[in-house]
Amino acid sequence: MIGRFLCGFVAVLAFAMPVRAAEPAAFTVDSLAKIKAQYAGRPFILGMWSVSECSYCIDELTMLGKLARTHRSLPLVLVATDTPAQGAAMQKILTPLGLAGVDSWVFDDPVPERLRRAIDPSWYGELPRTYLYDGEHRRETIVGILSEQRLRAWLRRHRVAN
Amino acid sequence: MDARDAVATLQNRERNSMNRMVSVTILAALVLMAGPATATEHRHVPPVESRSTLAIGATLDESGRLWLARVEDRWLWVSSSADGGRHFSAPVVVSSVPEEIAANAENRPKIAVARDGTVLLSWSEVLPKKFTGNVRFSRSTDGGRSFSAPRTLNDDGRVTSHSFDALAIDGAGRVAVVWLDGRDRDAAREAGGTFVGSSLYFAQSADNGARFDANRRLAGHTCECCRTALVWTAEGPVALWRNLYGTNTRDFALANLDTGKQRRVTDDEWQIDACPHHGGGLAVDGRGIVHMVWFTQGRARQGLFYRRIEDGRASPPMSLGSAEAQAGHAAVAAAGGMVLIAWREFDGRGYVVQAIRSTDGGATWSSPQRLAESGGAADYPLPLTDGKRSMVVWNSAAEGVRILPLDPDAPK
Repeated sequence: MIGRFLCGFVAVLAFAMPVRAAEPAAFTVDSLAKIKAQYAGRPFILGMWSVSECSYCIDELTMLGKLARTHRSLPLVLVATDTPAQGAAMQKILTPLGLAGVDSWVFDDPVPERLRRAIDPSWYGELPRTYLYDGEHRRETIVGILSEQRLRAWLRRHRVAN
Repeated sequence: MDARDAVATLQNRERNSMNRMVSVTILAALVLMAGPATATEHRHVPPVESRSTLAIGATLDESGRLWLARVEDRWLWVSSSADGGRHFSAPVVVSSVPEEIAANAENRPKIAVARDGTVLLSWSEVLPKKFTGNVRFSRSTDGGRSFSAPRTLNDDGRVTSHSFDALAIDGAGRVAVVWLDGRDRDAAREAGGTFVGSSLYFAQSADNGARFDANRRLAGHTCECCRTALVWTAEGPVALWRNLYGTNTRDFALANLDTGKQRRVTDDEWQIDACPHHGGGLAVDGRGIVHMVWFTQGRARQGLFYRRIEDGRASPPMSLGSAEAQAGHAAVAAAGGMVLIAWREFDGRGYVVQAIRSTDGGATWSSPQRLAESGGAADYPLPLTDGKRSMVVWNSAAEGVRILPLDPDAPK
């Protein structure tokens, strides 16, 4: 009874709230291969971040959100190194930054090293970390904040977006 | 997992997310009804998301009793063992009110036991507002049967970042707690300026934690998200932390809390605008030699390292573990001439705990011993020694807390 009442309450609130993005997809050891297949022959940006304890990630996401507003169809894939339980917290951060519609993933493995190895064996977990994949999927690695200047130059060089 | 399990898991996920939505809604409604809340009232708000709390605290007291501090379901529990970890006392709850306690990765509860038996604890409480928290303290004066009401050590009254606490005692009544603190950054922003990094603040007590002096600042412009370390030397409490040199060189600094004297102790030149989430460890042995372990990806060197500092002179960095196995998150313990270092590796399948030991104050070392493995989520290993015995305490999701003794006949 109380459950039904609360569900109704939630439903009413849900209508009153702005549209929210879907939950992030679970990132597992074979997810990068899927992402690369999806972008076969095309450049894309793989941005690693975290909800908890990474203020630099927020700075980078703010820049990416700004860029996504002017560059329609920015080929951006975000992967959070948190857990699927933090999906809602992720969306709470991404939505106001204009990144609600971005292809968003979250680590889904009790051993994050397993997933880090699948992405980059030399990565110890420092965040943010960005990989810029060109059309042939050769990549540049940016350790720490990616500057807007560098990203804009990369976008121009690879004739990406707009 | 077969299809039926998959469906059940999905249903559970849906149910969890529905529960979460319901609690968020109720919370939102309560907050709206209650109006503005103060920082202390925030503590009673239930968590919206569950966090892993595998990171535990451990220490050996003067009599060789092993003490554990662990967080479960938002409660902090203390138990102890008189037989090296075979049997533990019934856990006693520390906090009188449940609170969100940081107990994963580089944040863990700290525990120390003074010579008179006073049990002292510090931890970082996570507040609902992003990147904010409080450094908390409690103690037991009846041998761990009951604990004082937890108190907040940061005295700035700000809802800002206070976390990555470290605790050290001299055993005879002096207590020090250091932590990373966002108050200077916030104050600079309020004044329209900027502030690079965090600050390091501390509080000291001269009566085993009954009263603490006002907070003092040890350093400004520190790395924001790496654990700090603190030990009590003959010259007083000494802290190790990842500092900011220039705008973004994240090398380590060592400073004495009493004199404020500070020195740079690594020259790795790690320039990075990021959160490494990877601090250093510190211990002092019976002869006053300081032992430190740290991680870097600097221009000068990369990986996990050990060095000792004797009469102000630092030994060359000694590499630890395998870079291919992501050796990291080392900790060091020392007593008498015994020095023990443990770290975690990932061998491609799961986590492995490795340890090395020195019986001559860090001059020579045993070869690494592979002490334990786990295929699932796990804490970083904690080495402990009283100068005679040495062990590594390791918590993992599947196996629970394991006390791993080091083979006394390990090859040199």
